[in-house]
Amino acid sequence: MVQIQFYSLIRLLIKQEKLEIPACENETVGQLLDRVQQQIATPFLYKLLDDNRQLHTGTIILVNRHNIRHLDFLETRVNDGDVVAFFPPGAGG
Amino acid sequence: MSKGWHGKLLRVDLSAGTCNVEALNEEWAKDYIGGRGLASKYLVEEVPADTDALSADNKLIMATGPLTGTYGAANGRYMVVTKSPLTGTIASSNSGGYFPSELRYAGYDMIIFEGASPHPVYLQIHNDKVQLVAALHIWGKPTQEAEDAILAEFHGDAKVACIGPAGEKQVLFANIMNDKHRAAGRSGVGAVMGSKNLKAVAVRGTGGVKVADPRAYRDAAMETYGMLRANPVTGEGLGALGTPVLVNIINQAGSLPTRNSQTGTFEGAEAISGETLASTYLKRNKSCMGCFIGCGRVTKLSGSRYEGDGEGPEYETLWSLGATCGVDDLAAVTKANYICNEYGLDTITAGSTVACAMELFEKGLIKEEEIGMPLKFGDADAMVKMIELTAKNEGFGAKLAQGSYRLAESYGAPELSMTSKKLEFPAYDGRGLQGMALQYATSNRGACHVRGYLVSPEVLGLPEKIDPQATEGKATWAKIFQDFTAVVDSSGVCLFTTFALGVPQFAKFCTTATGEPYTDEKILEVGDRIYNLERVFNLKSGVDPSQDTLPKRLLKEPLSEGPYKGAVAKLSEMLPEYYEVRGWSTEGIPTDEKLQTLGLA
Repeated sequence: MVQIQFYSLIRLLIKQEKLEIPACENETVGQLLDRVQQQIATPFLYKLLDDNRQLHTGTIILVNRHNIRHLDFLETRVNDGDVVAFFPPGAGG
Repeated sequence: MSKGWHGKLLRVDLSAGTCNVEALNEEWAKDYIGGRGLASKYLVEEVPADTDALSADNKLIMATGPLTGTYGAANGRYMVVTKSPLTGTIASSNSGGYFPSELRYAGYDMIIFEGASPHPVYLQIHNDKVQLVAALHIWGKPTQEAEDAILAEFHGDAKVACIGPAGEKQVLFANIMNDKHRAAGRSGVGAVMGSKNLKAVAVRGTGGVKVADPRAYRDAAMETYGMLRANPVTGEGLGALGTPVLVNIINQAGSLPTRNSQTGTFEGAEAISGETLASTYLKRNKSCMGCFIGCGRVTKLSGSRYEGDGEGPEYETLWSLGATCGVDDLAAVTKANYICNEYGLDTITAGSTVACAMELFEKGLIKEEEIGMPLKFGDADAMVKMIELTAKNEGFGAKLAQGSYRLAESYGAPELSMTSKKLEFPAYDGRGLQGMALQYATSNRGACHVRGYLVSPEVLGLPEKIDPQATEGKATWAKIFQDFTAVVDSSGVCLFTTFALGVPQFAKFCTTATGEPYTDEKILEVGDRIYNLERVFNLKSGVDPSQDTLPKRLLKEPLSEGPYKGAVAKLSEMLPEYYEVRGWSTEGIPTDEKLQTLGLA
């Protein structure tokens, strides 16, 4: 299983904190995103990706708490037991 | 005097009880812009660096920038500049709200307070009518009560900045509150105000601010409005969730200092997160003057064992009164935040000092009898009680009122103070974020996040994502962020706009407002000048480069969990490069050549 965590504006938007879905072999973060969106009634991908499916500046997606920008971006592999967290661009101080 | 600046400062001699208007030094204004930079120049010229911060010889400067009270971004900030009683460094604390713009509408760029009044007073400003009036009847009152009393007797539309009982009693990290809920928070500027027997400044202004080229200024403002609205952070995120959105982000990054920085992951983060606040005590968001970001949190405690209403907590406070004390009780954190605001305390140092005391207690270095109660990590009620005692400077709170460094040192364990230059860290662990480690060690007011917010590239990916564990290149990132921030702080614009705006927008603003040609290069040169000016003051005050360091915990004790498990702050890999990038000697001293280049020699 893969644990999905929703944060920030996405959580407010879809009114859901977590989701658990079966892992798929050789699945990438990009593919996982589409699969998660299929299970959520409210569109939320636009908070993370632009029209060309590029990460917005400031989008944070973590796999086991590591930012995919320091891994393989949307091509980062997701394995059984992984925790994937989605944060739309956010900041403070 | 060029436009943008009014060209007038108010000099208030509290010893003599006089108020006089002076012309602003035009050359200095061009070289330092205003706010933090210009006030620092005045302080350096008028206050010897070895001055006792709480003596009448210290001065307290409230300074706006040439953009304060204008429009286009979030142009409503002011700075309080003085010598800090907590750190001995130059202090510069920033606040928004409505008071700063009102001061400009009254016709003044800054106020310099000197001397000390023999009895409590406050300053009334109604355009060109300025007077000191007795304040004995409001001395001792909490900030919000004092403000209401002033509004009732002076002018109902006035804007007020005042200290609370903590400032009056010279708690070393007392702040200055304005508009009831906004704070010039760090470094103890409120204690300096208290030492001068100055309770408040109340201002009513009915004038305006003139810019040099109104049409070009409007074009610049339209551009920035568009950029701020289009940016997901300034256009939506900060309004909806405020700064508390960072609790989960920084915790996931393993960099949320927990239980006095013993680890970087807090198991109770979700309970004190921005998302939880939004679904519990948050009533609405709130903006400062001329700002549509609206990061302020208007809250009310209901359905909990604590009661009250007010503003906050912000991210830093959720951490300082929460994670670093091991407290996951959002109501307790919010209540303690209210107490800090009412009594006038910097929440970061207040909470961090309680966390230090908790570790001293758990290690057996402070006995229960001395505190009057057990003080374990995670004890929400004890945390609230300690904040109350600190605010009142009573009982064990009198020791907490000295800040964590003096507290830990008095028990023979200064290494348990999570400070740099005696200023407590904010809510980011330098082991997880190497750039922030360098920033803490080199910040001119001690460990501070708003002197160079490298969290932005290291975690948030703004303006671009860089590896938080890398050390290469961080020196250059730190210098650019520090210099740019110095200009933002000097202009009168809120730092949060820089999540969307960059140097070119500030160059346009400053040029069209003042008529002086500020190119992108000149903007950063001004920032470099301000940074070096502050550095030289600190060196003269005895804060030597040996203090460009971090607690042993960050340098030697690896993070025990999280994505950066095993990491320590690799300061020694970055500091020499930082000195080089700054144009300083290998010992960290600005060279004569560097100072001459900046017009400081």
